[in-house]
Amino acid sequence: MEDISLQSRIDVLSEEQMMIQDSAVAFIAQDTELKKVRENRFVQPGYDMQTWAEMAEAGWLGFLMPEEYDGIDLTFSDLSLILIQLGKGLVPAPFSATAVLSARTIVKTDNESFKKARLPALISGEWMPAVAWQEARATLDVKAENVTCADGKLNGQKLFVPDAGGADAFIVSAATAEGTVLYVVENDASGLSIEYAQRVDGGFYATLTFDNVTAGEQLASAAVAEQALASALDEARLAASAELLGVMTRALELTVDYLTQRVQFDKPIGSFQSLQHKAVDLFVLSEISRSVLLHTTALFDGEASDKERAIAASQLKSRCGDAALQITKDAIQLHGGIGYTDECNIGLYLKKAMYLSSLWGNPSAHRNRYASLAL
Amino acid sequence: MTDYNAMTDDDFRKMLYNWLVENYPNELRFLTERMHWDECGDWYMTLANKGWLAPGWPTEHGGMGLDANKLLILMEEFEDYGVGRTPDQGMTMIGPLLIQYGTQEQRERYLPKILNGENIWCQGYSEPGAGSDLASLRTAAVRDGDDYVVNGHKTWTTLAMDANMIFTLVRTNKEGKKQQGITFLLIPLDTPGITVRPIYNLGMHDEFAEVFFDDVRVPVTNVVGKENDGWTIAKALLGHERIFIGSPKMASLAMNRLKVLAESTNMFDDPLFIERYTVLKLEIEDLSAAYTRFVEVLKRGGHIGAEVSMLKIWNTETQQRITDLMLDVAGENCGVSDAIPAGDTAVSAAGEFIGARPTTIYGGSNQIQRNILAKAVLKLPS
Ligand SMILES: Cc1cc2nc3c(=O)[nH]c(=O)nc-3n(C[C@H](O)[C@H](O)[C@H](O)COP(=O)(O)OP(=O)(O)OC[C@H]3O[C@@H](n4cnc5c(N)ncnc54)[C@H](O)[C@@H]3O)c2cc1C
Repeated sequence: MEDISLQSRIDVLSEEQMMIQDSAVAFIAQDTELKKVRENRFVQPGYDMQTWAEMAEAGWLGFLMPEEYDGIDLTFSDLSLILIQLGKGLVPAPFSATAVLSARTIVKTDNESFKKARLPALISGEWMPAVAWQEARATLDVKAENVTCADGKLNGQKLFVPDAGGADAFIVSAATAEGTVLYVVENDASGLSIEYAQRVDGGFYATLTFDNVTAGEQLASAAVAEQALASALDEARLAASAELLGVMTRALELTVDYLTQRVQFDKPIGSFQSLQHKAVDLFVLSEISRSVLLHTTALFDGEASDKERAIAASQLKSRCGDAALQITKDAIQLHGGIGYTDECNIGLYLKKAMYLSSLWGNPSAHRNRYASLAL
Repeated sequence: MTDYNAMTDDDFRKMLYNWLVENYPNELRFLTERMHWDECGDWYMTLANKGWLAPGWPTEHGGMGLDANKLLILMEEFEDYGVGRTPDQGMTMIGPLLIQYGTQEQRERYLPKILNGENIWCQGYSEPGAGSDLASLRTAAVRDGDDYVVNGHKTWTTLAMDANMIFTLVRTNKEGKKQQGITFLLIPLDTPGITVRPIYNLGMHDEFAEVFFDDVRVPVTNVVGKENDGWTIAKALLGHERIFIGSPKMASLAMNRLKVLAESTNMFDDPLFIERYTVLKLEIEDLSAAYTRFVEVLKRGGHIGAEVSMLKIWNTETQQRITDLMLDVAGENCGVSDAIPAGDTAVSAAGEFIGARPTTIYGGSNQIQRNILAKAVLKLPS
């Protein structure tokens, strides 16, 4: 499928970036029919372990990680080239949750020996941790309150942990006398119960309930935990937004292709001006989103403060969340009846957009944060 | 037999309401999905036994014989009570059509079987290649003695797997204007050569189906009207029901669910949310005003034309805007399949949102409705 974006017209990629992008394009070209997506839908863990192993093999899991932990220390600009393709291919793998949120949370903590011991295993794909931080719907606040840790025992509940089904361990934020602290809890810890809710895109959210669970190793002290979590979450939001950009871009490509092929009234429906204008509006929306992504990755790759990053992440996530929903909704409409079937792949894009647009804060939540930080 | 039209509107309403309270199953109130026969068959028969299955048909054909005003009241009361739709194409579509265009023999043969639940009908118009451009349909009926031999492929046939009869538009003439070679043909679904394949919708329900015809023999006596006259007949039928697409009840239902969801998440503490909620609330109230205006035309015995498309546009798009706000309010739950507890019930924002997608596609897509208004009402040049 031909790339519809303005990238080749107006953006400049380095030679290395071209290679990164090409490898990701080739990666998703193995499953243009989205068979893997369908095979892994609605069955635990909701993604494909083989795909995860292949990504690790390609070195992608270590993109953002320092070399001392076996990473390759590339940039957000580089990584976004991969994430866009993962979004386009709806690749069933918890990339943003594990390779970004988990890995980056760990990197930002103050437990050096843990990092040395576990990060190489994460990067090689052998160890999958999931971050359990959220305690309420639609919140961006990382301060732990509901889950507490006293006398080495964890109690309370974490919500909306994405892709927990394959996780070997959880990174859990908990309120202590000193403040929020991060602990590592193995997936089979006694007293931990995991309840899954099926997501529309075929994955699962988990609710973790801690009932006197013995806190494992302390990953981050109260001095750094909240900041590590908040900062890693903003990076994960950037990652999810790049995926969303891929989702909307491919949905638009599929739709433009359909408008060209589908004949009604003896003409391709793409010849009707009302549909041309609709397609153009969606295109503008996707390129505005891409512009914000480029702006944000550059900012993250530079020397910006945490606050500047938070503002940029909120700008990006609200734009990409809204645009992806708008584009995929209209993509269904422009497909007509076939668009409302599960058999047609366009609906998979709508559902991925529904999930990603609300993960780690939906557009409204991010506009609110933007207003409180930037106005 | 009761002359319902002679009752006062209030008495009529009360009678309907009381009867619904006694007879309509509670668990089937306010459903979001279309009901399959195994869920609603009993209710269908309850209506049939009461003689209320076909409120709009004349009494001599077994209907309630309601005038336009009483018919609208009945629709309103049923909607208010949350009565789900049965596979009702027999009552709403093919029945009225046979009453108007069928032969005496066809009426005697089919109408009683609709009323006693023996025949469940589905609508076989659309084809893979013929949706908005319905007249380009290609499923062909070729005359062979006293039969037609039908070959082709219908699709998006709502609840075809629950039906045993399908009314179709088929091509009997390939020459000339495409609207002129179309015939209205009734086909029993158990005829050899027919295959029905359910299709799952985006909500993962088998709401519609494909129907394949492979050398299916259908007696020529199953034609309604004249050969090659099917287009005119089908268009007349579409005229009948168009007002109901303007009923604000669907949007009100969605609005109620939004309210429940918003209350359970304390959204009414947020002035910004109240503003957004009120915008939508007024969209529905304003639609009600427009709907009443159109209904008055029918009550006066008048005719509603292409202008009714404006109700469809406003209604369905309001519904979609309501479910947009539901997604927003749901936060992360907008990505969750199942209904989430809210107040003393449960609401699926994702389900509502997905369920609102096809309203702008079926029944003439909203693009087509805009084309109609532009040409037939605003008389804009081609
Ligand atoms: C839930 C559901 C139930 C249905 N039930 C039935 C049923 O029981 N029986 C039955 O026969 N059919 C049924 N249909 C089919 C329905 O009538 C068609 O889907 C509809 O007519 C649109 O046709 P299409 O799907 O082929 O889309 P297309 O006609 O291919 O339309 C694709 C897109 O092009 C646009 N478009 C097409 N022409 C124009 C134009 N001239 N100008 C501007 N835009 C245009 C459309 O608006 C749409 O956005 C059902 C459909 C749905 C979704």
